Amino acid sequence: MRLYDCAEIIRSKNAGPFAVTIDLFFGDEERYRLARDSVLLTPAGVASAYGVAEDRVKGVYWDDRIRAAKVSVVRWSSSTDPFCADLFGAHLHTPLAAAELV
Amino acid sequence: MSATTGPASAATSPDAVRILGFVNHIAPSPDIEEAIERAFSWGVDVVVAQGTGSDWGPYWLGSGEQVSANQAANVEPYVRAALRHGVPFVFSFGIAGADPHLETCLQGFDAMCARNGWEPRVGVVRSEVDRDLLTAAITDGPPVVPCSADAGLSPELTVADVEEADRIVALIGPEPIMAALGHDDAQGRLDGVLTGRALDIGLFMALPMLRGLPTAVAAHAGKMLECGGLALEPGDSGRCIWASLDADGFTVRSPHEGARPTIRSLVSHTFYERAHPTLEENPGGTLDLGEATYADVAERVGDGADATDVPGVRCEGARWHEAPYTLLMEGARREGFRAVSLLGVREPELLAQARTWTDAAEQAVAAAPRFAAAIAEGRLRLTTRIFGLDAVLGALEPHTSVTGHEAGVLVDVVADTAELAKEVAYYAFIRLFIGPYPGRKTTAGNAAAPIMPVVVPVSDVYTFSIYHLLPLADPCGPFPYVVTHFPRPAETDGAAGAVPTDATHQEPARASV
Repeated sequence: MRLYDCAEIIRSKNAGPFAVTIDLFFGDEERYRLARDSVLLTPAGVASAYGVAEDRVKGVYWDDRIRAAKVSVVRWSSSTDPFCADLFGAHLHTPLAAAELV
Repeated sequence: MSATTGPASAATSPDAVRILGFVNHIAPSPDIEEAIERAFSWGVDVVVAQGTGSDWGPYWLGSGEQVSANQAANVEPYVRAALRHGVPFVFSFGIAGADPHLETCLQGFDAMCARNGWEPRVGVVRSEVDRDLLTAAITDGPPVVPCSADAGLSPELTVADVEEADRIVALIGPEPIMAALGHDDAQGRLDGVLTGRALDIGLFMALPMLRGLPTAVAAHAGKMLECGGLALEPGDSGRCIWASLDADGFTVRSPHEGARPTIRSLVSHTFYERAHPTLEENPGGTLDLGEATYADVAERVGDGADATDVPGVRCEGARWHEAPYTLLMEGARREGFRAVSLLGVREPELLAQARTWTDAAEQAVAAAPRFAAAIAEGRLRLTTRIFGLDAVLGALEPHTSVTGHEAGVLVDVVADTAELAKEVAYYAFIRLFIGPYPGRKTTAGNAAAPIMPVVVPVSDVYTFSIYHLLPLADPCGPFPYVVTHFPRPAETDGAAGAVPTDATHQEPARASV
């Protein structure tokens, strides 16, 4: 299953100008567990999905109370780049969302 | 997390501080008057809204231009209620929040006051950083380091960085606002505080801290309230939000019939636009929500037959770890001028080779003798973005060819002058429009041009060249409040709001209570 199909909400947004944070919300405990136990949603898995070095992944965090995860990555192109394609960081979830949740 | 019903002790305690929060760069929802009235029926001690942010990027800070958000119009129903009930308002204004942005908003505020016959006395706090102060801090003080180590910024801020920046602001903390809220003279207290760029949660923290509530509670509540109704379910920043704070925590309610706070909506809001879910570095300390608790509560409001249970969420358990006081600064530097050209492609043969076609146009610019010096000197940069192929993801895009039936090509040029940017964009446009490509049948023109003139001059382009932490011994010193009577008198034509604050109508600023 792709992360896109597993998560109920996938919201991507800048966390300051130089980092992007992707909040993931899951609709039920089964899907939350699937995501929580996955390799994709680890710093190594996220780095692989974005093709960046692992030290660019600031963290993958979980909140069991509300079945949510947060993935934060240093932006590879930010508002310091005149040709940045996504200044709000609202569309940077797609490589992660399209990846298989293994 | 079980629901409990009990007396609204937190909301009615004499020690409680009740805040009505919203976002003043977003137009209020249609039911706003009713919602404000409901909140005031519960009690409100201060009305707070943020109106600054870096989300819009460095353009606004650098250019001095103001986003067309009409912030004065957005605050009007809230100011009306605050003045009627005699409670202060605290607003940050101007998006980028430097002096020209704040002044634009203050002129709107003048007009709003004049229109309504209001004459509030307001503490105005400007947020631009004095260059001499910053230069002295760099020369004499500890290193001024970036807030984000990975951002490609100077690892230690230099005097040259300061000189090259077009404009520099600081996200002022709660302290300058506390000073203004504490102002008391022969005419009593001020009706409100208006600031430039400010730490969002600091606006909310000011009154609770002034009243002696714990910093941890004030900061936790600020974090929950800073985006107004976005923290409710359903989330909508055009709505307002209400909370009652006490020494142990706070309870959140929705003043709107169509929304309510839920544990999920509030906890997920603490995530919002933050790299870390539970730790947040702020001036003077770190807010730690690692052990925060959230519980549904229903509080009985009203008397006798009119009493109703109002749903709320009780939030407790935040901690505050003291740290040296630093303020985040944002500085913008001009990078050049942008000109663009847009072309639409629907010819299948050309779509199949879209990238090689745009590469050829880029190469034609790179090989043109007339542009050689500008390219060599780094004064000219060009890219062509193909919407329909990889314009959004760039190198991360797995698709290597256009898969749809049409695509858009954006020629994007940044050069040191507008003239050069426009000339290069036109040069590239013409190559795309008439340049030969293998298998071409459409020899009168390769693509559709939707905009005339085909080259669109966009604007100056800016970068955040400063995103550094300024160590500060006195959080109020550089950011005094100026007591200002609104509407400010006009200097020339008699129209309210035509000129900046008139010094003869100010009282001396006080840097501390």
